[in-house]
Amino acid sequence: MMRNVFGGDQKQKEGDQFFIKVIRKFAPLYRRFGVDYPIMERIVDMKLIMDSRQEKVIPTNSMWGSQKEKENEDKNAFFQSLWLYGFISLLLLFLFVIDNIQFQYTIFFSYVFIMLFSTLIANFSTILLETKDQILIGTKPVSSRTLSAAKTTHVFIYLISLTVVIAGPVVIGTFVIHGILAGLLAVILTVTASLWCLLLTILTYATVLKRFNGEKLKNIIAYSQIGISVFTVMAYQIMNQAIQFINPSMLEVQLNLQWWHIFVFPLWFVAPFGIITNGFSLTYLVYILLLVGGSVGLAFLYYFNSDKLEANLQKLESGEGDTDKRSWYENVTGKLLCWDKNELGYYHFAWQLTKNEREFKTRLYPSLAALFIFPIVLIGTTYRLTLETGGSVGDSVFFRYMPYYALLVIPMLAVSLKYSKNYKAHWIFGMKSEDHAGVFLRGIIKAMLMKLLFPIYLILSVVVLVFSDLSLLPAIINGFLVVTIVFSLQVKRTIQQYPFSKRYNASEANQGCLATIIFFMIIGVAAGGIFAIQTLIPFGAYIIMAILAVVATWLLTKGFNNHSLSME
Amino acid sequence: MDKILEMREVTKSFGGNNVLKGVNFAVYPGEIIGYIGPNGAGKSTTVKMILGLLQQDSGEIMIFGESLSGMGDTYKGRIGYVPENAELYDTLSAEEYLLFVGRLYGLEEEVIRRKSFAMMKILGIEAAYQNRLSSFSKGMRQKVLIISSLLHNPDILFWDEPLNGLDANSVQIIKEILSELKNDGKTVFYSSHIMDTVEKLSDRIIILNEGRVVADGHFDELQKEADGTLEQLFNQLTGFNEYEELASAFVSAMKGEITYDA
Repeated sequence: MMRNVFGGDQKQKEGDQFFIKVIRKFAPLYRRFGVDYPIMERIVDMKLIMDSRQEKVIPTNSMWGSQKEKENEDKNAFFQSLWLYGFISLLLLFLFVIDNIQFQYTIFFSYVFIMLFSTLIANFSTILLETKDQILIGTKPVSSRTLSAAKTTHVFIYLISLTVVIAGPVVIGTFVIHGILAGLLAVILTVTASLWCLLLTILTYATVLKRFNGEKLKNIIAYSQIGISVFTVMAYQIMNQAIQFINPSMLEVQLNLQWWHIFVFPLWFVAPFGIITNGFSLTYLVYILLLVGGSVGLAFLYYFNSDKLEANLQKLESGEGDTDKRSWYENVTGKLLCWDKNELGYYHFAWQLTKNEREFKTRLYPSLAALFIFPIVLIGTTYRLTLETGGSVGDSVFFRYMPYYALLVIPMLAVSLKYSKNYKAHWIFGMKSEDHAGVFLRGIIKAMLMKLLFPIYLILSVVVLVFSDLSLLPAIINGFLVVTIVFSLQVKRTIQQYPFSKRYNASEANQGCLATIIFFMIIGVAAGGIFAIQTLIPFGAYIIMAILAVVATWLLTKGFNNHSLSME
Repeated sequence: MDKILEMREVTKSFGGNNVLKGVNFAVYPGEIIGYIGPNGAGKSTTVKMILGLLQQDSGEIMIFGESLSGMGDTYKGRIGYVPENAELYDTLSAEEYLLFVGRLYGLEEEVIRRKSFAMMKILGIEAAYQNRLSSFSKGMRQKVLIISSLLHNPDILFWDEPLNGLDANSVQIIKEILSELKNDGKTVFYSSHIMDTVEKLSDRIIILNEGRVVADGHFDELQKEADGTLEQLFNQLTGFNEYEELASAFVSAMKGEITYDA
């Protein structure tokens, strides 16, 4: 279905050619930066060809059940799924309903930065941190600067495509509503914003690679990724707080800037629009100066550091690993949950594998970290609301059901289980003498529940219980049962081949988006139903708990016995 | 004759692990050097440093008569490199991969195509010219890498275990190719674990153990220090002589007769 919309092989090839033609226009600029342009173009071209060739999963026919895995020749899954982002971004057009230009562009740029940073970190870090290129290209007469420029360009092609799609509706809207000048400004600033995201990410990696060594380095890379995500969410929250609804019914808002908002750089991007409509002011001037200064600074930093990123990349490959020990937590939960000894084997296997794979962490940990930000954000906003309406934080429904947000990471987590850096080792799963799909999946599900979902859920629950009272406990226990059930079903739906048997790949970045949206709709309805029963029917929570417990127990003991996994 | 490559007191450590503890040797044009040592002795690290993928902590590396530090990347155009583990871009076809590599060396597509097809034909894998590398066997991948390292007619070859995965006939051809290249004045620096081949093929053998060069010379010279084959010499120099006891202990462990003490 999606494939037809975007045409066949021929068109995709033209698409790649299109990017090469565009880059060619910038050849003099590349040369000025000391890049060997023809070689760089060659590398980018080859990278795009390789991306379009990876195996990919595109849901055909129905969203549920029969997902067919196909090796599509010469089509890039990334571009094929962009339309969905465009669709979501259309919703942003509602911004223009609120007649306050700072508000419109504050929200707009927060959205752009969040989307770009999260995609960059989770999906394109693998390109930036790829060590194979050093061995295969770095050993040829190609300078680090050229190779680095090629990688940056490669990622930027994806990033700018994504930017066009997510910012397109609003930028076009700007031309219509605020005139040509503002429109042009929006175009320039949006492109600048996506460059900022890319350069900030690259510079973060370059700094970390330069400063650290060995095993520590690998961990710090993961922390820096989490750090960027956390920073993004925090910035978003600060920007939200800068906006005050003066009169909610009239949708009237006011930007309430404090001196410390000066550090929130997405706000700098709003200032030029302010000047256009409200005229000159000192605040705007300072922000614009910061914006220009920041851009020039980033360009300089990139110029002086880009080759160092490449030069230090080999560090990621070398040095011996830590000695891996199972933690007491892993041992105890394993013994408690896995009664079958094969299942326990898979439990430890999944636990240790996901502990060591940088790619797994890169994909997943930023979203997990974002979950921890929710308490802060929610407490903050609810507190402000309750100040206005009276009552306490613990009364807010959003706050009380906060642990349920753990549901949000489930689709991502389930998909991540398909991949592994050492995907070729999956032959070993075929060596087993009996059918083991059931124990395998149960082992993995239990490991991931205990390793990732339970700790997060527990922390969120404790926060909620501290602010409210113990009467919420049944609802919170129900929530974890729901998480267990939903995660099991999602794994069953997603994992059709053996887990950890596919290769990570950039063009699959936003794979399965539509299925995920449908997933959330169904979850939303189900969760709504549960809330209703819990609040309206006496002892409803306990009735539901009984039902959920039975379902969860069944899933975790017998659930996947009829499931079969394919090798290829 | 002038040295084409020289290592002077080169050290390298990763974290707290000293991989190279002062490596010294020199290579002259037209030599075939067998660079051997146990796993983890630092062979690949040495080669990666010469290719500029890693920087040494101290010491100096001289190549083509110049110091490597601050030299730029053009010298790599005179080097042919075969990496360990047969790493390739799997999603490309052999043709595309070779065209890509050739272009990085600044060759014309026409020339690359002619050369690479001819070389693949001689090695008997021309039928797979347009197939994806992911479908290649280990030996075929090795052949593609060997061809890709020769496309630009380099002066010195760094081959990390070039015979890995090749069948006996192919090993024979590659050995002959190496002698032929030597006659042509090329320098070959390779590593291998097949002692028999190293013994017969190399003009000089450099043995690396625990981050130091423990032997350097022609096999005949080395033999003066210890009689027997290169394998025996290797075992002796790397302090390994208990293989019989280890083998029987291994088999009893397999049967569960030894208690595992961690």
